[in-house]
Amino acid sequence: MIINGKSYTKKIDPLLRLIDFIRDEAKLKGTKEGCGEGECGACTVIIDGRAVNSCLVLAASVNGKEITTIEGVSQGKLHPIQEAFIEVGAVQCGYCTPGMILSTKALLDKNIDATEEEIKESISGNLCRCTGYQIMIEGIKKAQDKLKKR
Amino acid sequence: MKRKGIGYASIFYGTGYGNGFPDESRATAELTKEGQIIISVGVSEVGQGGLSVMEQIAVETLKIKKDLIKLQYNNTSKMRDSGTAAASRQTYNTGNAVLDACRKLKDNMNKVKTNKNLENLYVQMKDCNIDTKTEGYFKATTSEVDLETGQGAPYWPYTFGVQKATVEVDDETGKVDIIEVTSAFDAGKIVNPITAQGQIIGGSTMGIGYAIMEEVNLNQGDIQNKNFSDYIIPTSKDIPKYHTYFIEDVEETGPYGAKGLGEPAMLPMAPAIINAIYDAIGVRIYEYPATCDRILLAIKNKNK
Ligand code: FES
Ligand code: FES
Repeated sequence: MIINGKSYTKKIDPLLRLIDFIRDEAKLKGTKEGCGEGECGACTVIIDGRAVNSCLVLAASVNGKEITTIEGVSQGKLHPIQEAFIEVGAVQCGYCTPGMILSTKALLDKNIDATEEEIKESISGNLCRCTGYQIMIEGIKKAQDKLKKR
Repeated sequence: MKRKGIGYASIFYGTGYGNGFPDESRATAELTKEGQIIISVGVSEVGQGGLSVMEQIAVETLKIKKDLIKLQYNNTSKMRDSGTAAASRQTYNTGNAVLDACRKLKDNMNKVKTNKNLENLYVQMKDCNIDTKTEGYFKATTSEVDLETGQGAPYWPYTFGVQKATVEVDDETGKVDIIEVTSAFDAGKIVNPITAQGQIIGGSTMGIGYAIMEEVNLNQGDIQNKNFSDYIIPTSKDIPKYHTYFIEDVEETGPYGAKGLGEPAMLPMAPAIINAIYDAIGVRIYEYPATCDRILLAIKNKNK
């Protein structure tokens, strides 16, 4: 599989989850495990353009696919979504943040003009206990402006 | 039919452990020979913004550039105890300890006259035998309440807050939608408006969960709903429009007038929602959370 543009070829246990491959084999610790059962979204990564819970995917099943984790979002410098999150104060404990940013990126890559309703829908699988979401939604709107100006 | 209702609730809430329980914070400020100021403080940062607040208090007190200050934290072998990040106490209690340490360091720095940089100041202070490291301390003044006489001062200071909830209740399904929430809090002077607003909105959202969603089902001490699919917390689709206001009534004993804010943020939310439900459909819910089945049952009992 290709993670953040880097190709990985490995013999693995057929039951290894993608999140474990990312964290333990590729040693990319930005992807977080919350529930491990597809309920919280902390482990969200992008697979071929779609935001997916990496705890529910078997690593073997993404053979040949392109995966983006939080480490791949900031190439050298922060991505506009990350900048916007920092500027508005959308991060508290930060545990949900990588997943939240990847869900946002998957949305905005497809639909930069997403409405507030569409934004809420697309991050509704990412639970956040700290922020109450509103500031994140403001951050996502700010990211839309930034991305459009680029 | 969907019926709209508005409800209010207000609280006052003491900062700190309270009731005479020893509530102390310590902090150290040090000018290094490299010309840096290190603030060592045992505040645990869990996302609430404690570190930003400590840094702001240090910058304000020492009146020097932010990038000359370095915070050292979360390492108990390198610093003294600042107590827990709990009881909404860090801004007030530990903030006061940081203020104390920085004031003492500033006084010491003012004892030598130099218009050169901090490295130079360090050398001169050492030459004159002036301490380049100062200890800050704060102890909350509360006393245990005498249960016989009712006398005592269990907390100081108090944070005040009121929240207004606008809800829509479907009287056929019992579903409650929270449309709008307005919060007004007096937590003294707000040191960091962004993180303070974050506490209010985050706390309110937790309060919404408490009011209409979250319930721990126990069976002989065993939690029956251990997953997020059956212990439901608010998602981005459950939140209302939030409006937040601060009434910055300066607290004389607080660092730059600040009081505690973390826990008070969630307290009025649930009762305000329960009051709004009453306003909408005329039934009182006495057991949290106000789930669809409880609301329908209450409507049924009322119509009997
Ligand atoms: S860890 Fe994958 S959804 Fe919670
Ligand atoms: S910032 Fe703590 S869970 Fe989202």
